Amino acid sequence: MADLSLPKTIDAPIWLEGETADQISDRLHQALNSSAHRERWKYTKADGILANVAAPSIAPFLDSTEQAGLEITLGQLDHALPGIDFQQGPEASARLCYADQAVIIDVTQHAPEPLRIHHRDSTLPVIIRLAANSSLTMLEIADSSDAMQQSIWIDLGENAQLHHSRNALDPCENHWQYLNVRLQQGANYRLNNHVAGSKLRRQDIHLILDGQGSEATLVSAGRVRRKDALDQQVTVEHRQPRGSSKQTVHNIVADGGKCTFNGRIHIHEGASGTDAQLSNKNLGMGDHATINTKPELEIYTDDVSCSHGATVGTISQEALFYLMSRGVSPDTAEALLSQGFLRQCIDGPLAEEALQSLIGKAVAS
Amino acid sequence: MSLLSVSNLHASVVTDEGPQPILKGLTLQVNPGEVHAIMGPNGSGKSTLANVLSGRPGYTVDGGTAVLGNDPLLELEPFERAQLGLFLAFQYPVEIPGVSNMEFLKASMDSLARARGEEQPNTATFMKRVRELASSLDLDPAFLKRGVNEGFSGGEKKRNEIMQLLLLDPKLAVLDETDSGLDIDALQTVAEGVNRYRSSDNGVILITHYQRLLDYIVPDFVHVLSNGSIVQSGDKSLALELEAKGYAWLT
Repeated sequence: MADLSLPKTIDAPIWLEGETADQISDRLHQALNSSAHRERWKYTKADGILANVAAPSIAPFLDSTEQAGLEITLGQLDHALPGIDFQQGPEASARLCYADQAVIIDVTQHAPEPLRIHHRDSTLPVIIRLAANSSLTMLEIADSSDAMQQSIWIDLGENAQLHHSRNALDPCENHWQYLNVRLQQGANYRLNNHVAGSKLRRQDIHLILDGQGSEATLVSAGRVRRKDALDQQVTVEHRQPRGSSKQTVHNIVADGGKCTFNGRIHIHEGASGTDAQLSNKNLGMGDHATINTKPELEIYTDDVSCSHGATVGTISQEALFYLMSRGVSPDTAEALLSQGFLRQCIDGPLAEEALQSLIGKAVAS
Repeated sequence: MSLLSVSNLHASVVTDEGPQPILKGLTLQVNPGEVHAIMGPNGSGKSTLANVLSGRPGYTVDGGTAVLGNDPLLELEPFERAQLGLFLAFQYPVEIPGVSNMEFLKASMDSLARARGEEQPNTATFMKRVRELASSLDLDPAFLKRGVNEGFSGGEKKRNEIMQLLLLDPKLAVLDETDSGLDIDALQTVAEGVNRYRSSDNGVILITHYQRLLDYIVPDFVHVLSNGSIVQSGDKSLALELEAKGYAWLT
């Protein structure tokens, strides 16, 4: 296989002080072509996404910016983010190197209104820093476009809270979303992710529990139909003791759709008392659905509670019979059951739109 | 005209080793207004009868007929049988997370109304009716928002079955060991629900292991099923005799 390479030469950004452009390029090149990283691109072609990491980007549209607790600036990143990991996210790191600007959102206290981030195209990297004890509700929406990329880097200070809702429901030729979240002590992060397959849609999510007792929750509902594809790559790192993470990801794959889920939980040495759970359920419907799912566990400490499970199945015949025994036709029963399967993972402030898009009109209201 | 007429019914359950005959010439007639209790030892075919009548996958009919009113049942899909007025109260009701009880009941009511050419009930009336029924069966109306049978105790599941029986008001109800796993209070609640359902127009087939249920739901007939056919029929006193003597003297 040919080496993956960056689309153009890199200038050394300010935030990577002490390294030359060549050194950075080398590191990125190496990370891109490491076997672990190539594995993450096993089912989706990296080339198309990599080719666009240096493409021009605009600032996303923001709503409810004028409120207590928020300071938003458009500028250069001046020091490295703690979550940056060349090895885990070389494309996103490269994207950050290419960007001459970033949208920097500082949350200094409780922000009463939800902050809305709307992407209509490739957008500048968004950096969100939550000060200790601050809290924010964030709504993120991606519209349709030919090719677009978004990357968001979040750093939660001690006891900070972020409730993040994200909808990526519109069709795209080539869509990549990268999300990196680092949690300090006692911080709490929750993501409600609702996603539809598209010609090519890839979501990379990297959650780093980097403080004691931090808590991360990922709930995701996806539907992939026809010739569409969805590739979700989730890494959860437990670096400190007593963190808890819970992932619940349900995807419906129908009629020629292709869905890939890779969920990796990495529990570092010393992260005792960790509670990490991952459940990925896939429902195949119609003909020729392709589902790849791989839960991965790497545990380097004792005294942890960890569960992971992945299932690929079709509609439960028992449940189908139960509904039919009450007079419900097979078509309606199947629709109810598949809706129910997704609805378990649709929640939060963007749920209504997601229900409309992923489920459509309810069979019975 | 009889409500249900089962004649010389032969049926097998599909197993890994091939079909295994369970019902071997079962004949049963239920007239409007009657309650028939079916008792019998484990493996005699009681649940198979319920499953074959309702059309559960995994069974094959090898011979005989079952007619509900004027309609032969055995060729029909399960939902068509339900639309004709057959109801099965499950021995093990299924949990369906993500589909709320309310949504499920509405889908069922709407399907049945459509099939009968009746107007679908309006949502407000329907919800009021469901709430009333739920509280009459000691079911917290909050359960309506939860997934179908999700997290229900065994007793709640059985009461939910009876709630559906009262809501859907079928012509013929087949209760498959609805008493199993119930404490005495829940048993009385369930029995009271079944008695409320009983009318001169409908019929009940009550499948049970124990005579106890028949103290509360008094049957018109008691049948003993053994090795796939009815070997003895009588009135309620037969159930008492069975309790005293066991099944051995009949089988």
